[in-house]
Amino acid sequence: MDPLFQALYGFAEPATFLTLVLSVVIGLIIGAIPGLSVNIAVALAVPLTIFMPTDQAMVMLIGLYGAGIFGGSVSAILLNAPGTPASAATIFDGYPMAQQGLSTKALRLSLISSVFGAVFSIGLLILLAPQLASFALGFGPVEIASLLFFTFLVIGILSGNSLVKGLFSAALGMVLATVGSDPMLGIPRFTFGSTALMDGLTYVPLLVGLFAVAEIIEEATRGFSQSLGKVDLSGEDRAANRISLREILGNIVPMTRASAIGSAIGILPGIGATIASFLAYADAKRSAGSKGNFGNGDPRGVIASESANNAVVGATFIPTLALGIPGDAVTAILLGALVLQGVSPGPLIFVNSPDIVYTIYFALLGSTLLMGLIGYPAMRMLSLTLRIPKIYLMPCVALVCVAGSYVARNNVLDVYVMLAAGILGFIFNRTNVPVAPLLIAFIITPSFEEALRQALTRSRGSFEPFMINPVALTLVAIVIGLVGLTIWRQGKLRSEKAQVERMGV
Amino acid sequence: MNIFKGLIIAVGLVAAAPAAAQDWTPEKPIRIVVGFAPGGGTDQTARLIASAAQELFPVPLVVENRPGASGTLAAEMVAKAAPDGYTLLVAGGSESTSVPHHRQTQYSLDDFRGVVRVNREHMVIVSKAGSGLDSIDAVVERAKQNPGTLAYGSSGPAGILHSAFLVFGKEAGIDMVHVPYQGGSPALAALLGGHVDLTIITPGDARAQLDAGTINVLATTSDRADQIPEVSSLSELGYNVNLENMKGLVAPAGTPDAAVAYLQERFAKAMESDAFTTVAARSNITPSFLTGEDFEQAMRSMSDAVADALATGTPATE
Repeated sequence: MDPLFQALYGFAEPATFLTLVLSVVIGLIIGAIPGLSVNIAVALAVPLTIFMPTDQAMVMLIGLYGAGIFGGSVSAILLNAPGTPASAATIFDGYPMAQQGLSTKALRLSLISSVFGAVFSIGLLILLAPQLASFALGFGPVEIASLLFFTFLVIGILSGNSLVKGLFSAALGMVLATVGSDPMLGIPRFTFGSTALMDGLTYVPLLVGLFAVAEIIEEATRGFSQSLGKVDLSGEDRAANRISLREILGNIVPMTRASAIGSAIGILPGIGATIASFLAYADAKRSAGSKGNFGNGDPRGVIASESANNAVVGATFIPTLALGIPGDAVTAILLGALVLQGVSPGPLIFVNSPDIVYTIYFALLGSTLLMGLIGYPAMRMLSLTLRIPKIYLMPCVALVCVAGSYVARNNVLDVYVMLAAGILGFIFNRTNVPVAPLLIAFIITPSFEEALRQALTRSRGSFEPFMINPVALTLVAIVIGLVGLTIWRQGKLRSEKAQVERMGV
Repeated sequence: MNIFKGLIIAVGLVAAAPAAAQDWTPEKPIRIVVGFAPGGGTDQTARLIASAAQELFPVPLVVENRPGASGTLAAEMVAKAAPDGYTLLVAGGSESTSVPHHRQTQYSLDDFRGVVRVNREHMVIVSKAGSGLDSIDAVVERAKQNPGTLAYGSSGPAGILHSAFLVFGKEAGIDMVHVPYQGGSPALAALLGGHVDLTIITPGDARAQLDAGTINVLATTSDRADQIPEVSSLSELGYNVNLENMKGLVAPAGTPDAAVAYLQERFAKAMESDAFTTVAARSNITPSFLTGEDFEQAMRSMSDAVADALATGTPATE
């Protein structure tokens, strides 16, 4: 039988289909719990799959993965606590939208753009996997270091009104990122003799602390409102929460841009969904210019972040399938599960086990569509969470935050980090220092340091490779262009203002 | 409710029956700590042996990932855990035989006693197809002509891959550049992209890449591997290198004999089960049983080889 039909036939099997539905639902729930990340869900499921038929095993793991990444945005929007690191950028506009009574709309937009991003990257996977994978292999330490250096520019875009405060926040993030073993020699830095710190700080507790715990402290200073939340669904402005087809079509361009960014980041080794969503968010904010309302509930912020992080999901499968090299931590677990099934991943998987490849395609598409079908009607009900009085809701959030921070690495230290980050986040909010630059600098720095030092080790300390590398040079040209453009725009704005003033209005 | 309780007790009794002669029976869950992230070889060994052995135990076997610092975080934790038979570590790789020779660790091999060796994983030195480095001789020749230009990618500083290249470099009298990556997969990607010249992978991966024509397989670092029987070992080629990545279970040093005997008996039995052998055969895991004492001995001899190379060779600092 043709492997394509064989794979399709596999899906007609009730057990396989039910597994898919179940894993999508479980993925959504786990993703929505702050700190319980997709990695944990997939890792926990692997032992269950060892003795399953291969297609059922793949369907289960992939369903958890895709739905889990989306699930993270639910708590980001409703609770200011990103369920997964990848949905951190969704907070910036998702949470303000929810506070303005537009939670259902934000959730629906997030779902639609997640499905869009996922389908976009799955399309790339099916059509261009071998070509894109060999392109990605060309990205060595020099190229990655240049690209990450370029991403530091988003700090400027995320800084808000004060660049100085933004840079302060980013610098702090960079310092925190250097805690732990240095990536080249394994020499401990800022560990104070503690083995628990040898592996550095991770972003889950930091993220949960900076956003969710800071919000809990903020609420505590207001003495926790005991009344029902202001989101009254019966009186909710349903019209405002409705999404028209025209609105979706109007956002096709930003969605596509964000999906392309997500896919590009997804195929490159070692960068990941979190950086992708930040980059897409910064890109959307920058291209909207002064017309945007970013940071105060602009729907495009949610759209950009969610399209991008779900586009990463499909894109990480490109190196995974075409080269046999996992694209991220989750696909590494998936590959491990495939090996336990007796499938040897590698460049020949398309020849040797095409049925497995098709099963993976169908599982990806199927879980994405199911996520949309199951998710859409559920969004309004999820908004009900906001009606729970804060005095009951916040302790539950706090409990989940502590558990989530601990579970990520089974390390008690992470709970303290979360608490400290919460206090820091609260102070930052009160002093108008933006939190986002800290987070993004913290996430970019380790990869940047690693790539830079790999490049310099290889060249024995010479920066020459950076001077002659076409990718590095192109990126430098873009950076200079972007900075120049911003200065020119601001100058023009200022002279126009001055002109208006001179006209004597 | 009572029937349910009775059932649990009955099941427990049946499972515990063969152990009646011994004076140790577990009464609470046994933790199997893995020092690496899910998905890697160490994690696979842990999950496989745990699921195959589960039916022989009256208590749950819980696999716990404590990744970080090349597995030393988990090793330190188990070394300091109560020696009561309820905490085991998957050992035998980087954290046991390699890392303690590169930097200070809060434990040594003396802090553990072996329970059982489960499998061994050959290490295979590979280069990119078309790189001209199609044999160990070619590598040595190129390295001698242009000292310090050949670069090898490893899974991280101080790991067993790093040590294996140091031992080989010392034996061959060549100087190579070490470029660490965060794990074996990124190192393989760097090799395929031409960013490093050599790296070490598993025989299963080597077979898959070799069939696709993407790599040259140069040599194994111990004996020949079943998946790639045509590839000779470094010792056959005249280099005194005998290193491999082993996976097995160890317990804190003070664990009582009765507990170790109980655990060893069951894990050994699990390795003979159909569930274990079928999955191991299809997923390129090479089962290789050793008793706890022999496993300790094997780790020691490998550890000594690394120590020798670092002491007499030129431990590359960068």
